Amino acid sequence: MISVLAVAAALALSVAQWFIWVYAPVEETMGVVQKIFYIHLPLAWWAMMSFLLVFAASVMVIWRKDQRWDRIAGAACEAGVLFSGLALITGSLWGKPIWNVWWTWDPRLTTTLIMWFVYAAYLILRQAGIGGERGAVVRAALGIVAFLDVPLVFYSARKWRSIHPTVFGQPGGGLEPEMLSALLVSIFAVGLFWAALVTLRSRQLTQTAALRNIFLHQTR
Amino acid sequence: MLRLTSVAKFYGERLVFKGVDLELRPGRVLMVVGANGAGKSTLLRVMAGLSRPSAGELSCSLDKGQMAYLGHQTFIYPEDTALENLRFWTGLYGLGLGDEALEAALERVGLKKFSQERAGHFSRGMAQRLNLARVFCIAPRLLFLDEPDTGLDEASRAILHQEIERAGQGERSVVWVSHHLERDLAKADEVLHLDRGRVAYHGPVAGFDASVMAGASTC
Amino acid sequence: MLTPALRIASKDLRLSLRGAQGLAQTALLGLLLIFVFSLSRKPGDPVPALAAAAIFWLSSLFAQVLVFNGLYSLEENNGARLGLAMAPMPPQAVWLGKALAGITLLLVCQCVFALAVAAFLGQSVEGSPLVGVAAVVTVDVGLAALGSLMGALASGKSSRESLLTVVFFPLIIPVLLAGIRLLEGVLTAGEGASLDWLGMAAAFAAVFSAAAIVLFPHLYTGEE
Repeated sequence: MISVLAVAAALALSVAQWFIWVYAPVEETMGVVQKIFYIHLPLAWWAMMSFLLVFAASVMVIWRKDQRWDRIAGAACEAGVLFSGLALITGSLWGKPIWNVWWTWDPRLTTTLIMWFVYAAYLILRQAGIGGERGAVVRAALGIVAFLDVPLVFYSARKWRSIHPTVFGQPGGGLEPEMLSALLVSIFAVGLFWAALVTLRSRQLTQTAALRNIFLHQTR
Repeated sequence: MLRLTSVAKFYGERLVFKGVDLELRPGRVLMVVGANGAGKSTLLRVMAGLSRPSAGELSCSLDKGQMAYLGHQTFIYPEDTALENLRFWTGLYGLGLGDEALEAALERVGLKKFSQERAGHFSRGMAQRLNLARVFCIAPRLLFLDEPDTGLDEASRAILHQEIERAGQGERSVVWVSHHLERDLAKADEVLHLDRGRVAYHGPVAGFDASVMAGASTC
Repeated sequence: MLTPALRIASKDLRLSLRGAQGLAQTALLGLLLIFVFSLSRKPGDPVPALAAAAIFWLSSLFAQVLVFNGLYSLEENNGARLGLAMAPMPPQAVWLGKALAGITLLLVCQCVFALAVAAFLGQSVEGSPLVGVAAVVTVDVGLAALGSLMGALASGKSSRESLLTVVFFPLIIPVLLAGIRLLEGVLTAGEGASLDWLGMAAAFAAVFSAAAIVLFPHLYTGEE
């Protein structure tokens, strides 16, 4: 299953490259730099999907008390932090030549950065073994609380900014049809890669747990 | 009054115990024995509703207010006086006891003249006796004991045991985790022996061969 | 649920005030923060109201973390958490009780901070003080709701209170922004203290109170 996903992801990513560089036209004002958008947006998109999955899996931990969901939440969170981190970096690389700044107070940027902080902290707490015997429930509570925060962060970031004049127009509006299909292909390809990564990591976490289980039962 | 059906408890992947079936009837004293780390305290906590079983069913005919727990931790707030500690805990149970009733409970455990002292100044034995006074006031139908006499001096232990025996009379039941089998076993009606996560013996005291525990009873 | 919550709150307040070091330490730390910030300005330079509001809330945030760590550690020394978990009351009463005690202590600290902001940062209230108090209380409700939930996360033998700060600070950002804007509005009589921001703070309080009510029984158990 994982190898199939991984191979499919590799193929899809290659095809996506062709769509990005050959099929989609070069954007008129931004030039070739705009190509980073085809990587940036899928990363951001799947990062948000990861956080949604962390939330869903956390709800399942509380509801079903099944450790498996806890490991899925962990794997999804790792992917989410990685993808949102990459989305922030690619966004920054894109913004520098276009907006001439590395960083700006944009609601989406700010929300992504704050969520990156929250979920990076979640990973640190996971690693630190917070909660002891209640660990899975404590982590699930964090996963739920973190996701509830997303709309609040987004809304407050937008509101905070709104009293200043809007300096930069929002990118992404009015895409050429070729650009849109390149984008969709890229989202799909990155999605396959994401699925492979999350499946692989949750299986690794399951195997780690199984090994620890065997070890514990042999030593007692 | 309390029934467990194939109850199991895991911490993450680690099995603490599984396949525990038992029914506790009123007026019985059940002693839970086993080596260190056999899961005795965890079983007690599951029975007391403090910890959710990972599998199996737990049914209890009692209200939370009719159960009490006495472990080696004293539950005291060091900055409060003995009387304030007792007033807080009995207040949570909605008992509405006046200061006289509380003083009387302190009298029973020999702490009356220290009622205005801060509990933080108490010795371990005194703190545990204050904890015992809390249990008296609650007057539980079902009492959980988790080695309450650990680290107590002889005088405090004598008071404690006297009161435990009183608690196990009539319709009141006790579930007791103890390490001192040779001393405490005689006070129990039933024994449940946990060994490597499973029930090795469950039945009347008379049928229990305490020698299988010989190694563990000294720890 | 209210009666046991009030009992817990009054017990916590009594213990916190009796020890008093906890509250004094918290207030001192916040004061120090405001004072150190005042050094970043040359004498005579006015501090913008927005900066003053931000530093007020930063001090409050540190105070909040210390207050709730203190409140939940009261139960940890002698295992009293087991006693609370056994008591015949909904577990949420613990959350509510600690939140009530925490907000009271926080408001006491904020009285000190408000004076310090006025003195060290040369601020005065141009807008309606009533709106100011309402804003601070609404934001505090949100802080206390989430703080009390986080305190329960950190309680237990393997607690890592310092680590939880790392997740608490970014989570609190929406209500922090609301608090800063509202306070700026009160200081300058500007439009910052709009109903929108008050609604934002109220929504934050509502969302995390609801989350706490659902999650708390799973978190505050007899397990270590």
